[in-house]
Amino acid sequence: MKNSITKNKKQYFKNISIFIFWILVWQSLHLIIGRDIYVPSPFSVLIKLKELLFVPRFWLSVIYSIYRVLVGLLLSIILGIIVAIISSLNKYFHDLIKPFMTIIKSTPVLSFIIIALIWFSSSNVPIFICFLMCFPIIWTNVVEGINQVDVKLLEMAKIYKVKRINILKKIYISSVLPYFTAACITCLGLAWKVGVAAEVLSHPQNSIGSHLYSAKVYLDSTELFAWTLVVILLSLLFEIIFAKIIYKITNKRFSKS
Amino acid sequence: MNIEVKNISKSYDDLKVIIDFNMCFSSNRIHCFFGPSGCGKTTLANILTGVISADSGHVIGKNNKKISYIFQEDRLLPWATVKENILFVLDSFHNKSEAQLLADKYLSMVDLLKFKNHYPHQLSGGMKQRVSIARAFAYGGEILVMDEPFKGLHLGLKKNLMDYIIDNWNHESSFLFFITHDIDEAIYMADDIYIFNGPPLKLKRRVTIDTSREDRRNNKKLETYKKIILEDN
Repeated sequence: MKNSITKNKKQYFKNISIFIFWILVWQSLHLIIGRDIYVPSPFSVLIKLKELLFVPRFWLSVIYSIYRVLVGLLLSIILGIIVAIISSLNKYFHDLIKPFMTIIKSTPVLSFIIIALIWFSSSNVPIFICFLMCFPIIWTNVVEGINQVDVKLLEMAKIYKVKRINILKKIYISSVLPYFTAACITCLGLAWKVGVAAEVLSHPQNSIGSHLYSAKVYLDSTELFAWTLVVILLSLLFEIIFAKIIYKITNKRFSKS
Repeated sequence: MNIEVKNISKSYDDLKVIIDFNMCFSSNRIHCFFGPSGCGKTTLANILTGVISADSGHVIGKNNKKISYIFQEDRLLPWATVKENILFVLDSFHNKSEAQLLADKYLSMVDLLKFKNHYPHQLSGGMKQRVSIARAFAYGGEILVMDEPFKGLHLGLKKNLMDYIIDNWNHESSFLFFITHDIDEAIYMADDIYIFNGPPLKLKRRVTIDTSREDRRNNKKLETYKKIILEDN
């Protein structure tokens, strides 16, 4: 017990020093280059961020951006799982859908954003882009997870006449869960990146992307950095919340290992 | 009561594992399938129990008997505790409280009640195999199949596990099929040893072991049987 406390403390100090190190690197870069427009100082960025916190539009933009990213993510998760299940049940369907996924994965996201600008209203473009970018990742991982289900366990369950619902719950879902979790964590980061990129180009009324765009127009690097910081923090926050939820679901399973 | 296979054949791709095979097994005996790896003994057991179906022929007397199976590997759910693993096969046949009682009963039979909340990866190989034995007994199949369940376990533990099974199976299942290519295991456990070779599967000889369990435990007369079987191989 005592050991783990000192270990935690050590870890804490280590993290803090890593953080300070990179802030110092940032500040030195700022001092060497000497112009705010190229690299603003971390302190002015923090001050800017603090100012933003008191502007109502900041919160509105953050909330709407969160909404878009979340809807896009949820759509990709739901459809990704459904399509993955169908693909695992039917090999022809799997082979049919695979090239589509490969194409989505290797097409530049900007091409999709531009075509989406033609198809959808500005507020829906980021949702569509989030969905489109995350969908193949969820699909690939869930398919992989289903393929990795241990045939020997299934055989055992069949011999012991275990009910189908229990086979689904205790074998399929349990096997796929790690693959699904990994996919979700990748998607959480990606959704923010592509979502905000789509917002920059489609500039919907309330969005983080629109603020990034106007920061670019006014050459306000400090604000650009501040908004970027917001995106990073939101992405991290999402990951932490998601990890907590997953931990809760699988808590029983891993608490003793 | 007997289980009988009549004119069964089975092939995998081009490999004919069993051709027009006939055999009859009576209940309340430990039938041991003895032979080299790949001779088709597992296939025969799987057809007998309906795990796989034969290409042609019939199995008579199996009806809808429940089957307990102890595999070569433990085949436990890695994400479920020892007790959850046993409950997993009981849920379809028992209500919750019954299943709990059964699971506890058979876990204490294999001396693992203390470990009921552990996960398989926290147990040794022998302990995992004991869980798998407890699962088979808790399920209470009328046919018990054991497919080389002691492979890779050391002698002391093997004997221990065999004793667990011999002491408990009688009241639980009417048929016990034990597949092995370890002669000592075969002589220690079996009532009838069927010496096979193949593929295609052929019965070379049937040896009936008349020594009492007690004598076997004290290592008496086993050498004589060993000689008989080895002569044949």
